[in-house]
Amino acid sequence: MKLRSALSLAGPIAALSLLALGPSGCGRPAPHVVVYTSVDEVFARPVAESFTRETGIEVRLVPDTEETKSTGLLNRLIAEKERPQADVFWSGDPVRAALLKMKGVSAPYRSTRSEGLPREFSDPEDHWTGFSARARVLIYNRNLVPEGREPRSVMDLLDPRFQGKACIANPLFGTTSMHAAALFAVLRDEKAMAFFEGFRKNGGKMLSSNGEVRRRVADGEMAVGITDTDDANVARLEKKPIGVVYPDQGGMGTLIVPNCSVLIARGPNPEAGRAFIDYLLRPETEEALARSDAAQMPLRKGVPVPEGVTPLDRLKPMAVDYETLAPRLTSLFWVIEPGKELTAGFLKEWAERAQ
Amino acid sequence: MMGPTMDCTVLERPGRWRAAATIAILSLAVLPAVPLLGRSLAGVTDGASFAGPGFLNALGGSLAVAGAVAANAYAVGLPAGVLAALYEFPGRRLLLGLSTLPLIAPSFLWAIGWSKLAAWIGPRAPEALSSLGPHLVFGALTVPLVLWASFAATSALTRSQIDAARLAGGEKAVLSNAARQAAVPALLAAVLGGVLTLSDAGPDQIFGSNRVASQILVSFSALHDYELAGRQCVLLAGAVLALALPISVLAAPRIAAAALPRQVEGPVRLRVRTAAVAGEAFFLAMTLLGTALPLLGLALPLLDETGFDRAFAIAERTLGDTLVYAGVGGTVAVVLGFTTAAAVGREHRLRKFAIAFSIAAFSLPPSLAALGVIRLASQAPAGMDFLLRSKATVCLGHGLRLLPVAFFLGLRSWAGMPPSWALAAAVHGVPPATYIVRVVLPHLAPAGIAAFLLVALLSAADLTTVLLLHPPGASSLSLSVFTVMANARESLVASLCLIYFAFALTALVFGWAATRVVSPTRKEGTPPPKERPAR
Repeated sequence: MKLRSALSLAGPIAALSLLALGPSGCGRPAPHVVVYTSVDEVFARPVAESFTRETGIEVRLVPDTEETKSTGLLNRLIAEKERPQADVFWSGDPVRAALLKMKGVSAPYRSTRSEGLPREFSDPEDHWTGFSARARVLIYNRNLVPEGREPRSVMDLLDPRFQGKACIANPLFGTTSMHAAALFAVLRDEKAMAFFEGFRKNGGKMLSSNGEVRRRVADGEMAVGITDTDDANVARLEKKPIGVVYPDQGGMGTLIVPNCSVLIARGPNPEAGRAFIDYLLRPETEEALARSDAAQMPLRKGVPVPEGVTPLDRLKPMAVDYETLAPRLTSLFWVIEPGKELTAGFLKEWAERAQ
Repeated sequence: MMGPTMDCTVLERPGRWRAAATIAILSLAVLPAVPLLGRSLAGVTDGASFAGPGFLNALGGSLAVAGAVAANAYAVGLPAGVLAALYEFPGRRLLLGLSTLPLIAPSFLWAIGWSKLAAWIGPRAPEALSSLGPHLVFGALTVPLVLWASFAATSALTRSQIDAARLAGGEKAVLSNAARQAAVPALLAAVLGGVLTLSDAGPDQIFGSNRVASQILVSFSALHDYELAGRQCVLLAGAVLALALPISVLAAPRIAAAALPRQVEGPVRLRVRTAAVAGEAFFLAMTLLGTALPLLGLALPLLDETGFDRAFAIAERTLGDTLVYAGVGGTVAVVLGFTTAAAVGREHRLRKFAIAFSIAAFSLPPSLAALGVIRLASQAPAGMDFLLRSKATVCLGHGLRLLPVAFFLGLRSWAGMPPSWALAAAVHGVPPATYIVRVVLPHLAPAGIAAFLLVALLSAADLTTVLLLHPPGASSLSLSVFTVMANARESLVASLCLIYFAFALTALVFGWAATRVVSPTRKEGTPPPKERPAR
């Protein structure tokens, strides 16, 4: 009797589960596009839903986030290269898009809707196209940093007034890794290494993610940190006592991190993939992303932006060649000399010490 | 039709089929990872460093953390499990249930809770948490495993055994005998918990610790160097195997003692004051540190605003698939794990091998097998997508990864079955199929449901397998929490965490009820025994 009771419970559950494993529908599947994205789901999904409303094409979104450092989507895209499931990769930064190009995962596509987008934020061979951007900014806690003593440059993190009170995210991951590569490109190796070493000497903390930097500065545990504009905006919306500074406006400039659309080579729905990219690159999408909690800055001139979003033409961007950042980053992780022992590159070794 | 030699004793007799079946099933657990591991090892001949600089230090540190977690969990879980099985105290059932709660959510969720709580307490608390945090989170996850293993082992003692011990030496002798009975299963559970910490990088990301899981994650995620990651995994599995071998030698003969067929009456719990106080103290401390405090940390952002509307929309989209991944994954693990346990039977050498192999296989990070499956799928014809690129792939991934958990519970349950039952059935000409349905399955059912629940909860909390293998548009709830936790408002993350918690708690309560329905031990209407004073 006991076993019968167990089976009467387990039977229907197993049957329902097996039914749920089966194909979701019969006959021809509805038109759809598979979009992998490293943009946070809370920001990407509304755009995907509005695309579906306007075109009738269902978006099967596979989100990830570069912030949380899962063994994520980029690995999946690379591993699926021979027979991809994805049609489009909507990247939160150009380094990962450039990496896909290096690995032969992407296909060139120049959208007719990319007119007006500055070419310096896109791949010259059209493997990825940059649109709405975030920036790498300094955030500080207004209760801990008096007026007039705000940081103005990333180099201010080495200042004794922020001793033991400055933080950055792990430079092996996400936009912080891109920022590190950009610093090495712009400042050159010696100065960039001095920056990272000086940061540690000044008692700077390496945290797990940009979100953690936002949280610890907003909570007053840290006085200042480097993060992305979308993180800073979330803290602003939560009415935390933070201030935001676009760094180095009198010097090397602020690093701009554009979103990138990437068409996947041999994707199963190429037409729908192109349609989705066209949709992403419209001025209306830039406007929508500017109005979202991410408060992304449009790259096009003249796209209306809400209060609190700084347009690109009011900033001095850091002059970097995005295409070269991916290989530079690899060299910062590992020193590879043929026939010799693999040794940790500067950043990897620095991150291990910082932990 | 069964042949003349196919009687019920085939389940108890030795035979070559046992080794073949055991190796075949256990190999399934590592099969998807084999191509990647093979390529990784081949890469060594190219002169590349085996595991990269800094890895050995991290490995040593991780093994130390895993050892400390296992030891602490053993020290807390074993006495708590024994006390809960032998003595009655106020709120015992509720406290037992509460002690399971850390298992129902992914480790990173508890880490977030602790981290938020520390930030709320004051500026110095997060500093202390960076070294203490992994011990708190992993300890909270391992203690329930040890506790339940001890509880189950003690509950398997018969009333006559306990009465005999009590007559011989009072409560001290009862406790000592029960602890001896539970020691080995509890040790195995502690080792499993410790091994589980080795491949879990979630809390490291919150607390900023540099352990072997983070190193492998860096190789996979930041460097995209699969071969290096593969070699690091091999080194990790090798170290775990070296540690697991002596444990398997110790555990194999003692994992369970077959009960005598007439010993069917379970222990009766007495009310003994000292034991009650000790039991209450253990359980309250566990509930406070394992659940209440981190949960408070998770809920703190809701004091300012709530994000339940959006959180419910996410939960509605992902809950169905989460249930499927958990339910079918649990079923796969139980079927394969219990079949392996039946194949191993009572052969000690095979048991040693199976235990050591399972522990080593369990230490491999899930990303290794998942990437192997992705590569296989991308080279396979589209006709194989139903198996390699569907929800079934995720379920199989979970089932194979967590097979060792079900195997250990199955092994214990199978070994506890009296061998004379099969002999008696054979003497009376009972067909094996009837014997299995009428005798074996009811005996295994409680352990089977417990294994199913445990695997289902661990599957629901998994991130890596789902992230890498889920078909587009079929994400899970825990993955959704993970993908929004960095940039979404804290109130949304807190709301999602609480919804996840409520969902897992409901599943746990249903499972608990199911276990009680099929539990064969108690007869209703039995009058409670008289209270005895503690000696």
